[in-house]
Amino acid sequence: MEKAIAPFEFRQCASILKATGEKAKNLRELREIIARVSDEAIFHHTYQYFLKGHIYQYTNDFAQWAGESLEEEALAEHLSVIDPYEFKTMEDLRGALLAVIDRYLEDFPEPREAMSGDEFHFNETITLIFPVGIRAKNLAEFLMAIKYVDAGSIYYHFYEARVRLGGGIDDFSAWIETSLDKKDLAEKVRAIDPFMHSIEEIRKHIIEVVEKEARRDMEVV
Amino acid sequence: MISDYAGITPKGDLQLLQKLGEKLRNKAFLHINSTRAGGGVAEILQRMIPLLQEIGISARWEVIEGDDEFFNITKKIHNTLQGNLDHISKEMWGHHYEVNKRNAEKINLEADAVLIHDPQPAPLIEFRKTGKWIWRCHIDASNPLEKVSDYLRRYWEKYDAAIFSVARFARSMPIDEFIIAPSIDPLSEKNRELSDQEISEVSERLQIPRDRPIILQVSRFDRFKDPTGIIKAYKIVKKYNDCILILAGSPATDDPEGEEVLKEVKECAADDPDIFILLLPPFSDRDINALQRMARVILQKSTREGFGLTVSEAMWKGRPVIGGAVGGIPLQIVHGVTGFLVHSVEGAAFRIRQFLNNPDMAIRMGEKGKEYVRTNFLITRQIRDYLSVWYALENKGRDILEL
Repeated sequence: MEKAIAPFEFRQCASILKATGEKAKNLRELREIIARVSDEAIFHHTYQYFLKGHIYQYTNDFAQWAGESLEEEALAEHLSVIDPYEFKTMEDLRGALLAVIDRYLEDFPEPREAMSGDEFHFNETITLIFPVGIRAKNLAEFLMAIKYVDAGSIYYHFYEARVRLGGGIDDFSAWIETSLDKKDLAEKVRAIDPFMHSIEEIRKHIIEVVEKEARRDMEVV
Repeated sequence: MISDYAGITPKGDLQLLQKLGEKLRNKAFLHINSTRAGGGVAEILQRMIPLLQEIGISARWEVIEGDDEFFNITKKIHNTLQGNLDHISKEMWGHHYEVNKRNAEKINLEADAVLIHDPQPAPLIEFRKTGKWIWRCHIDASNPLEKVSDYLRRYWEKYDAAIFSVARFARSMPIDEFIIAPSIDPLSEKNRELSDQEISEVSERLQIPRDRPIILQVSRFDRFKDPTGIIKAYKIVKKYNDCILILAGSPATDDPEGEEVLKEVKECAADDPDIFILLLPPFSDRDINALQRMARVILQKSTREGFGLTVSEAMWKGRPVIGGAVGGIPLQIVHGVTGFLVHSVEGAAFRIRQFLNNPDMAIRMGEKGKEYVRTNFLITRQIRDYLSVWYALENKGRDILEL
């Protein structure tokens, strides 16, 4: 008898924004607040950047603000290279952000101020996770579902999962490898760079690799 | 009907609404504001209450009553919170409190969650009975007259949480502060889909020629909306591209400068037959909808703005939008992606020319803009967020909530 495949249950997350009341108008204030603000605020301004649709120029809110509001583009580039998924704890990530800012402040001790009204506001989020009522039992159903679900669901399984699972692993590739036993396909999904695409582009790339595999399976039959 | 939003709003928003409806089923959710009709708050409440009831929540909407003196005082409070200079005497604060006290005796304040809209009914917190109390600030209070905000603080700090439209409107307070953007209703007369016939009917009635591209701004004739700046931008564009300019709006009756601004606008337009200044009566929602759908480019060239929801209304029609980089406009227009932000008359002229000469880019940005509104600024998202705040307050201390 064939082994029963555990279905993939699609879930989704939505966040509500909470103000911390902290705001920075220049780089020194930003540094000082990053050093003491909650882990949740650091999490929001880095990991959750992609939930916004990734239509901005950089890869986290701090870099975006440095580039757009302070016009310190070199700093924005340095901050953009920080990969939050490389760090085991939020403290390590916080340390990496501070190290980049400190290095920049050594070279340019008097960076400019943001215009009034354009300060950096530190926020946190409360995240609600819910099932979307879609279940895939095989690759063909998975392909249908991935085309259908909201971007918030792709975010939850592709980005948020990396924090939950660690090691650069997302829910999709984990299921493809363990439940469908398709290691090569899982590797292809894992090879999609989360930083270089919007959620919709991620969706497109997943569809591309999964469709190719599903077609091959069908042709063998 | 909530099912009417299926296929329009993101599926996830509707699913989360249903889930939150299950969690908060039969619980009482009371909204209180100070007007039953007129203004964005009343408009959204009219739509929101039946939708909340439909998902199983026992939603109620009450309106406080007051005399002319009360509303004169609350107008002063409103204006000073937005940074205007004025004085509110001890007696005025006393009357503000007394009117709320009288209302508290008449209104049933028992509920599981109470959402108080704006400063007029803020003192009702002194008469709270049960449930979570949330104060919702719809106005731009980022630079208030400190004396006034300091006084109101005695009420605000007694709430369980406050909600602001934009992060920079939030105050430093010892209570939870949430950021929830306002929203538009895609099914309202101002935003619903219109047939070609309906659009033509409006263009014929208003005698708008459709043979050349239309540049449009819908706003009150108010200096902060920069109508004369728009005419100057149009005149620059006109040297290169034949087009029509429509400035549509109602005269600002509560603004003594309104008439004067309109006169300036007419003078600035001079006798150019391609500039249409349309004075629309209140409730011209369908005409505004049709004008937006006729336009090739829509402007909101404000120099000062609250949230500026007219930007989302324009983006919802899939039209490319150019906005002043003020207030909540940059939250809606992501520069170069969902539209263009401008800082000058010349900037507006340059971006209009870009859109007129690059129809593919105009279509692409218009589509991106519509999608951005769909995911961020529709009424279903706002209701979802209100319920999420309530649910989060019921589960205080947790930042991840599984439903």
